[in-house]
Amino acid sequence: MSVFHIVVCAGVVPDPLQSLVPADDPAKPALKNELMLPHVLDPWAEHALYEAAHLAKTRDGSKIWVISLGPKAKVQQVMMKTAQKAPFQLIAVDGTSSGFSDSFAAAEVLAQTINSIEEINKEQLLLFGGWESASRASGTTLQLVGEMLDIADQFQGVDELSVLPDGKLRILERLEGGEHQISVCTGPPAVLGWATGNLPEPPNNPQIGMVNMRQMMPALQKAQVADLSQPTVYHSVELPKQKRETQVVRDKPVQEIAREIVEWMRLR
Amino acid sequence: MTEIPRQKIDVDIACVGFGPATGGFLKTLSDHLVNPDGTPKLESRVVPGLPLQVVCYERADDIGFGVSGVVSKADSIRSSLADVQPQDIPMCAEVTEERLLYLLDPVGASRRTIGVRLLDKVLRALRWLPLYREHAFRMPFTPGFINKHGGWVFSIGQFSQWLGMNLMSTGLIQLWPGTPVSEPLIENEQVRGIRLMDQGTDLQGKPVDGFMPGMDIQADLTVVGDGPVGTVGLALDEQFGLPHGNERKDWAVGAKMVVELPEDTPLKAGTVFHTLGYPEPEIFGFFYVHPDRLASVGIFVPSWFDNPVRSTYRYLQHWILHPYLYKYLKGATMRSWGAKSLQESGRRGEPFLVGEGWARIGEGSGSTNIFTNSGVDEAWHTGKLLAESVVELLSLGKPMDKANLTSTYIERRRKSTLEKETKMAEHSRDGFQKGLIPGLIGMMLTAVSGGRVRLPIKTQSTQERLERMQDFYRKRLSEQEWEEIRQKSASQGVAMNDLVMTRMGWPEIPYDGQLLISHQDALLVGGKVQAPGGYRDHVAFIYPHLCEACDTKLCIEICSGQAITPGENGIPAFDREKCIHCGACLWNCTRLIEASSSQTNVKFSAGTGGLHSGEN
Amino acid sequence: MERLLYLIHPESDGSLSTRNLEGLSAAKSAAQELEAQLQIGVWGDQIRPILDNLAGISPAPVLIVEDPAFKDGRFASDAAAMTALCRKAEPTLVFAASSPRIMRALAAVALRMKGAVDTHITDIDTSSGHLRIHRWYYRQRMQAEQNRQERPWFLVLESGIAPALQVEKGQVETVAVSCALTPKEMRTAVEGKQLPKGDSQTIKPDAEMLFVAGAGWTKKQSDGQIHADVAEKLILDFLHKSGASLGSTKSLVDLKGEGQAVLNFMTHLNQVGQTGSTPRHDKGIATCCHGEEPHVVGWRFIGERRAINLDANCGWAQGKADVLYVADAFQVLDEINRLLSE
Repeated sequence: MSVFHIVVCAGVVPDPLQSLVPADDPAKPALKNELMLPHVLDPWAEHALYEAAHLAKTRDGSKIWVISLGPKAKVQQVMMKTAQKAPFQLIAVDGTSSGFSDSFAAAEVLAQTINSIEEINKEQLLLFGGWESASRASGTTLQLVGEMLDIADQFQGVDELSVLPDGKLRILERLEGGEHQISVCTGPPAVLGWATGNLPEPPNNPQIGMVNMRQMMPALQKAQVADLSQPTVYHSVELPKQKRETQVVRDKPVQEIAREIVEWMRLR
Repeated sequence: MTEIPRQKIDVDIACVGFGPATGGFLKTLSDHLVNPDGTPKLESRVVPGLPLQVVCYERADDIGFGVSGVVSKADSIRSSLADVQPQDIPMCAEVTEERLLYLLDPVGASRRTIGVRLLDKVLRALRWLPLYREHAFRMPFTPGFINKHGGWVFSIGQFSQWLGMNLMSTGLIQLWPGTPVSEPLIENEQVRGIRLMDQGTDLQGKPVDGFMPGMDIQADLTVVGDGPVGTVGLALDEQFGLPHGNERKDWAVGAKMVVELPEDTPLKAGTVFHTLGYPEPEIFGFFYVHPDRLASVGIFVPSWFDNPVRSTYRYLQHWILHPYLYKYLKGATMRSWGAKSLQESGRRGEPFLVGEGWARIGEGSGSTNIFTNSGVDEAWHTGKLLAESVVELLSLGKPMDKANLTSTYIERRRKSTLEKETKMAEHSRDGFQKGLIPGLIGMMLTAVSGGRVRLPIKTQSTQERLERMQDFYRKRLSEQEWEEIRQKSASQGVAMNDLVMTRMGWPEIPYDGQLLISHQDALLVGGKVQAPGGYRDHVAFIYPHLCEACDTKLCIEICSGQAITPGENGIPAFDREKCIHCGACLWNCTRLIEASSSQTNVKFSAGTGGLHSGEN
Repeated sequence: MERLLYLIHPESDGSLSTRNLEGLSAAKSAAQELEAQLQIGVWGDQIRPILDNLAGISPAPVLIVEDPAFKDGRFASDAAAMTALCRKAEPTLVFAASSPRIMRALAAVALRMKGAVDTHITDIDTSSGHLRIHRWYYRQRMQAEQNRQERPWFLVLESGIAPALQVEKGQVETVAVSCALTPKEMRTAVEGKQLPKGDSQTIKPDAEMLFVAGAGWTKKQSDGQIHADVAEKLILDFLHKSGASLGSTKSLVDLKGEGQAVLNFMTHLNQVGQTGSTPRHDKGIATCCHGEEPHVVGWRFIGERRAINLDANCGWAQGKADVLYVADAFQVLDEINRLLSE
């Protein structure tokens, strides 16, 4: 049976449900009160972790490393929730999680970090992450890490991974219109940038949490500081200004509303 | 379905709820767990060789979610955090200015007694004084018992997060948010630990896919700091009752917003307003200015406010629109909003504090000082006292049994300034049972006599006080009008409070899309109210027939999130996606399950979700 | 002087996508304004139909990599082909229209070319004589104008970036670029497409209209009952008759995990906003939605917008929709369906 070394690149982002406002200096873009905002594990990366946990559970001897690049305090905060979800080893890198940072710089840090994990066998490596982040949303970081690690098989927008009886990987990637592309890869190493996948969020398991946390605190204390270079020059960062004049139609009979909408639909 | 075994783990100390009390406990305890060389100072019994194994479970999805902005003398907190300056903690500032304001009614809709009207008249007659501005009278001084000068204005949310991060980073304490506790494990009067909530269930608690029975956390000591409506605290009350003579009849809902003040605000960080008199004489307000133009603004709606269509949200909006406050708030933006139940019986509501293997701390342990309106520092203080007691017992190798906890923790509490102050405060608010003016007289009597003299007034619970809705407004609304309002609210599936308030002359709220927004939109800002799936509903109506027969349905009116609405056959419907876990339904339900019991027909348990704001 | 290379792969049916016509239009005007040389590179299996549409865009010959090995969207072969085209053209700027194939491999090409990459570009500004781009951050919550000095600079353009180019049929000069794949680059085989399941063919990127269903459809209605079955029928009927694409708020697709009433055809693929998609359609109608900014991003790129909701203060509508009908969506949709069948 195939045994996998699964590395999940999972950063932290401000909870996408929060009100996000750019700070005042457009040349150095950041979010207002960024460190006061509640953070979550990047939503697509979170799915990647659940998929990794599911895969590792069915493959004895498999192991998961989670590499999280972000402000140490925020990574720690997020781990209070994430650590209960699945057994994994955390490797924290203390640096910015800002969406305005550069994906090349982030990828370099992540690739170096993965290369420094001696235990990982590249022939068994599955590099997981979200296909995009909820911050930069460039869809490039994981791809660059894979390229830096010289992995020739990459998949993005993955919703399903199955291991075939002969050890090959069958992968479903999102296309448009609800379609998926089916690919079969001979095996690891491979990069899988996950979309939402199909698995539900695993329940919190306090026992897993306690075991994880015992190694997480030392990992957080050991977190290397990464100072990401920023080659992009920003000229402005703004909230969308567009606000429509909403015409509120009350007390109109249903028939009239429907007729109005149908007329509008037919208008070209 | 095959039986899934319930897992168990052993720890030394299990804490329930992470608020100021547990913060004080864990901070103090963590200072004593290891020696400077890293070896255990207090060794674990369950994992020999390691330091004490301490875990804390918090039901909210992150620590510091959904709690309040506060002003506090913070004496105890500051003594525990000697090296810490206000600027080290986000949203924290030293109190620089305090104003006590009596707000007059600028719209004429407030329901004012003769005494209040008289007071209004006197103050309006003084409108030539510089103390009178925009329908508000600023008291020339802030009485000592309210005064928080030298203390801190802060956000309990940000403080808790800051503290939690520091505690976790010691590696000695494990904090687990998003983990509701379903009950204490009680065996033969002894608390053996706690049981976490089942996961993978439907809304009724029945197992579905991915079912995982809540784990049993077995502990030598269970520290209960889950607040006034916490599941474990309530279960202990049910099991052991309250000490003779103690009662919990006084409550309040505190509803507040965190706002960003306009860029040209003249208010400096550390400014504090206390208000009374408006929007109803029974409603008190607060305005705390944090650094970076943030402010916490809010009101308290007490259980002795007899209006049966009490709406904290709309009243908060009218309070904001009071000309004195609105001159500072116009142009502000709401960043988050929330509400919380406050146990206002203080020392008189103290439960049994310890037992075999358990101890209670914080607001649920009756620590709030109802005279000085302060509870956060007091809660911290109780946690600190318990931690000192635990350290003493463990150092001596003594078990955490009732006798030992009594001789250490209770002994410390009884000798503390906290006890002295909360005892003095015990009857300070009794006068409010008869209205604002008697209430103020009662407060003054406490101040002057040091609590020795009090008004001979008996406290009544919501259930004892409340009239039928139509009786309360009998002079202003006919039975027919009531019926029309009732039918309209039922057909729209909403509470009656909005319809009634508008009918009583309260102007419509001029929504501006940033500070004044609909109640439902307020649930969506600041991270939104969230409700993770896989858990049972945490609000249930115990006996449906009691709801069917209830013509008050105060649970619907008071609900801070509009999560409880008119439902089928007269039984209210509950939508947990809107619930902010304030717990007001629990004490506002007017139906007791038995005449001899204080248990209302609402079962309020711990659940995940709720507000997702760390700023509140 | 900048040298701009525009990269194209054929669609699965061999055609040139509208997005590419828009992208080519943007590239052509950028090249003019920057006084840059524009060259096109095409790779794929059978690229003749593409080449027939590229006449008159640039005097430079079209660089091509053509081989059955490049038929499918596969990271290794796509990256190899694009790298070969880039090495031949030696561009300072590389544009490509967003597609799964481009998004899967272009960043790696940028790395191989020691360049930089930016994606999801919604606008290009050359008015200063330099290239500046616009893109969104934090899931369409804020927009930035930015540029960088690194070259070659790879840009992935979103649809709608410019009016589609008017195609000129004709012959173009081509230069074949060789690109041999190593065994390592052929470890993956594309086996085909999986179509959405029977009743879930509800996402139609090319539809004129987006229909957004909110969680209100599965909540208690005015009679105190849930009518998810009625909601399902009404919505499917509407989609069938109108040809609209179906989007959903996150809360509606999330309900699935909670044993609550759900719309059976709804999946995470339908979700718009937040962690969902941000589709582009000329018109959009939101029903029974309630939310604010994070949810509203889902219809940021919808042209004309209308909403039906019982709450006049609905965050999906106020300031975001052109018209808000305060009405019961069940009744309105029923009537719309009746009118559409006439």
